[in-house]
Amino acid sequence: MAATETSTATVPTLYTNTLRNAFGGVLSFFILLLIGVLAFSIRLFSVIKYESVIHEFDPYFNYRVTQFLTKNGIYEFWNWFDDRTWYPLGRVIGGTVYPGLTLTAGTIWWLLNSLNIPLSVETVCVFTAPIFSAFASWAAYLLTKEVKGAGAGLTAAALLAMVPSYISRSVAGSYDNEAVAIFALIFTFYLYIKTLNTGSLFYATLNSIAYFYMVCSWGGYTFIINLIPMHVLLCIVTGRYSSRLYIAYAPLVVLGTLLAALVPVVGFNAVMTSEHFASFLVFIIIHVVALVYYIKGILSPKMFKVAVTLVVSAGLAVCLAMIAVLIALVASSPTKGWSGRSLSLLDPTYASKYIPIIASVSEHQPPTWPSYFMDINVLAFLVPAGIIACFLPLSDASSFVVLYIATSVYFSGVMVRLMLVLAPAACITSGIALSQAFDVFTRSIKFQLPGVSSNAEVDAGETSSATAEAQNNVVKTEKTETSKDRPSRKSKKKEREHVEKPSTKAKAEKKRLLALPLEASFISLLLLVLLGAFYVVHCVWAAAEAYSAPSIVLTSHSHDGLHVFDDFREAYAWLRHNTDVDDKVASWWDYGYQTTAMANRTVIVDNNTWNNTHIATVGTAMSSPEKAAWEIFHSLDVKYVLVVFGGLVGYPSDDINKFLWMVRIGGGVFPHIKEPDYLRDGQYRIDSQATPTMLNCLMYKLSYYRFVETDGKGFDRVRRTEIGKKYFKLSHFEEVFTTHHWMVRIYKLKPPKNRIRGKTKKSKSKTSSTSSPRKSGTKKKNPWH
Amino acid sequence: MAISSAHLFFLLSFIALSLFLVISTAETESELVDDLQTLQSQSKSGVIHLDDRTVSKFLTSPKTPRPYSFLIFFDAAQLHDKSELRLRELRQEFALVASSFITNHNNSNTKLFFCDIEFRESQSSFHLFGVNSLPHIRLVGPTVKSLKDDSEQMDQGDFSRLAESMAEFVESRTKLTVGPIHRPPILSKKQLGLIVAILLISSPFVAKKIFAGETLLHDPKIWLSGAVFVYFFSVSGAMHNIIRKMPMFLVDRNDPNKLIFFYQGSGMQLGAEGFAVGFLYTIVGLLLAFVTHVLVYVKDARAKRVAMVVAILVSFWAVKKVIFLDNWKTGYGIHGFWPSSWN
Repeated sequence: MAATETSTATVPTLYTNTLRNAFGGVLSFFILLLIGVLAFSIRLFSVIKYESVIHEFDPYFNYRVTQFLTKNGIYEFWNWFDDRTWYPLGRVIGGTVYPGLTLTAGTIWWLLNSLNIPLSVETVCVFTAPIFSAFASWAAYLLTKEVKGAGAGLTAAALLAMVPSYISRSVAGSYDNEAVAIFALIFTFYLYIKTLNTGSLFYATLNSIAYFYMVCSWGGYTFIINLIPMHVLLCIVTGRYSSRLYIAYAPLVVLGTLLAALVPVVGFNAVMTSEHFASFLVFIIIHVVALVYYIKGILSPKMFKVAVTLVVSAGLAVCLAMIAVLIALVASSPTKGWSGRSLSLLDPTYASKYIPIIASVSEHQPPTWPSYFMDINVLAFLVPAGIIACFLPLSDASSFVVLYIATSVYFSGVMVRLMLVLAPAACITSGIALSQAFDVFTRSIKFQLPGVSSNAEVDAGETSSATAEAQNNVVKTEKTETSKDRPSRKSKKKEREHVEKPSTKAKAEKKRLLALPLEASFISLLLLVLLGAFYVVHCVWAAAEAYSAPSIVLTSHSHDGLHVFDDFREAYAWLRHNTDVDDKVASWWDYGYQTTAMANRTVIVDNNTWNNTHIATVGTAMSSPEKAAWEIFHSLDVKYVLVVFGGLVGYPSDDINKFLWMVRIGGGVFPHIKEPDYLRDGQYRIDSQATPTMLNCLMYKLSYYRFVETDGKGFDRVRRTEIGKKYFKLSHFEEVFTTHHWMVRIYKLKPPKNRIRGKTKKSKSKTSSTSSPRKSGTKKKNPWH
Repeated sequence: MAISSAHLFFLLSFIALSLFLVISTAETESELVDDLQTLQSQSKSGVIHLDDRTVSKFLTSPKTPRPYSFLIFFDAAQLHDKSELRLRELRQEFALVASSFITNHNNSNTKLFFCDIEFRESQSSFHLFGVNSLPHIRLVGPTVKSLKDDSEQMDQGDFSRLAESMAEFVESRTKLTVGPIHRPPILSKKQLGLIVAILLISSPFVAKKIFAGETLLHDPKIWLSGAVFVYFFSVSGAMHNIIRKMPMFLVDRNDPNKLIFFYQGSGMQLGAEGFAVGFLYTIVGLLLAFVTHVLVYVKDARAKRVAMVVAILVSFWAVKKVIFLDNWKTGYGIHGFWPSSWN
């Protein structure tokens, strides 16, 4: 930097600036490249520490859909009726999923294969999320650059690359909708701001397409279609209407809504549910306002005053009529046209009062202050400074950022899940704050450093403060010039901004004389760097320890080293290899997606909990005594029942712990299942104090069958107690497989006795020989055999 | 003979008396119902106010199968200001159920009456029912003999969802339908009309102001402070406190004079705790903004230096405090991954 300065000291300043810009451009490019590498590699901990697998329950479904897509093509996928799930109902997959993620991964796979890079579908799925995190940080760079210049953009991108909240949803292997959706969200916002700054229809069209991609990817697109109208309304109300605003908004509503309606899962919801009505209302308002501005332009001020009364009254009448229609529409639809989740955002206490199912989900809980420190860490300190920086000076773009952070921080306060939407906003504002603070402090130091001549001082002061702005200004002025050539009538706002530009430059000149004390700036700079270092340490820790553990493979550290529990895959593999392709497997809905994806067997219920009755049927079967349960399962054609049991190794989220939910959900539909029957004095227990209903229900029996053989006492390590009923026989079910750590146990329904008695014996002897060696070894100890 | 005639007389008089008694009880039964209905119509919400006298008149003295059931709300005026009991709210909801029940049955119902009892006025009745904790709602069926043991108490869970769940309780126990709950609209029709009228009248003026660009909304300072406030409010977890109805602080169980402001464990937080940390979160950013955007314009070098030192110290303390509190509250051991040769 110093070398270029001395060498170019004699050249005219214009030339210096272009060279500087070129140099800065190349540097930014490499920084961005490194940021992309950082975003990708910080998410690989799960692959390095475990292996390249897909993590949670939902991603397995997405993986399976992607497999289908790559095997059968897009049209088959679009019309896919899946008969492997929700037996006997089945599920229309093409019409009930957000296809963005699967189409993206499918496209990547297809592209790689056509380039003769033979990656498996699973590998592509595992690495989709990290790749898109890199894209998301680049999108954050573009967005912040539009708002406050390239320096802020780079800082924001670096922050977003490793923000823990986003890492939690996008580590390698977490193949979920949010992975691509956050990129789509930021990119849509960028294109909106870009359109707003340039007034170009090209970007407006791109914006609609980006919005379409977002609608394809995630249900959170409603955030966009409400935030952008809010910003437009805000601009209108604060007197910032311009034709650029119109171009940014009107095509988005028309094209975006049409495109959104193309996605089967959204369909006519794009025009019929209340979440979208705000955009239409603002669409009407912006037209009224545009008309007012137009009339104002063609009339003399006096005539305008007369006209304004006319137009305002007429416009108001039209608006009122429209509002009345909208209200009528809203009121006529059930739940007033709002989905429960949206309502609980507007009225935070709504969900806890009226919808216990939504309130009970852990990611719908309101967060406490440590959640913010965990998820956005030190950004929480920087955001207020960023908000203030956005107001100095306030432009259309920076007001959008302020609105974005304010709404998203409010929503994140209601639901911890929406922290994910807050994270990009926090990164952008913190990036702005950090870059401005660095700007001020480095300028102060550079200005006052001993040994720098006064001539160089002026030069240095100017360039350091103005590079970011200058680059931006150059781009902007060019754009304004080109758009000025067009015959479109610009509002006065535009002119004002044009006048403002030289004034900000004059301000920058004044600023170079303004500096802070040297040693204080130096300490501040050091502290800010330390803060950033702490952020990096925290993010790496969060990525490595907190968010990278897959739920399909479990590990535990004990004094004698690392233990790996791979029971789930063991069980699914057993099912895949030892059962018939068309056999039906019943389990609680948590394991539905995994069973269909990994074992390729038909399940009764899965994680897409759309049919409460069906879930309640399974819940009822699990809570019933053996015979009744057998009848229910038999009526559903079930051959195998799978239960997850953590009592031997102390895995807390097993079926016994989820059992009360089965009772509740079952009892909600079949009233003969009553929760108090399973509770002793309101307490849920499985020891000798447990109720007889509890000790005789299917879930208890399937979980604890032969459990006493393991240690002779039947001590459950999760509930920390000895079980109530230790020795019992199963009359209608037989154990066919139990995994190494007993975490998954699979039972087979015995065939009806009076018809094929001889066959029963044969199959029994066969299955016992195929089951695990541990079982055959311990079998003789069982007094019931 | 005299004896026999005397016998006869006694017998006759006994029959007459018993007949009279039967008639009188029949009369009193319908009378009682009539009384209750007049009482009900006198009360605005349809909730009959009971005291010791009326309890004995309607509940203890009549013979058991009574022609009516009572749903009794036990109230205590002196506990109304204890917000955690929610007595006022429950009393209103109870009245709502009562009025909805009456309107749904067109005042023709004579089976179920809604009553309330106040603790100060009728302590002996409270004793009679064996009520010693509030809130308490009790259903006295027609066949109930001992008020204390036979009558059915409404569980906490039954009034958790307010009027709707109370109605469900009544429906499940009495086989009577309550029907839809008629909640009064938040704004009465008159108020609504007034508001609409005001909006209509003021709208041209507002529109004019907006076009002229001179409303409060055009002042960026308002927006700025609003945005910062929303930020402070959200990061302090105030929404959690509102939804979970958390108190500002707890009283230490071991030492009643001590107050607990910070709760250990990340799933929960107290009100004061949230605001304190929210303040720490916000102050650092505000100071940074102050230094970068305001302090640079200050001419006096000494003032600059002092302000910066103060800002640095406060920010450093705030960040350190939050990190310390977070480690204490969550118990996470956040550590870096240094090369093993460094240890």
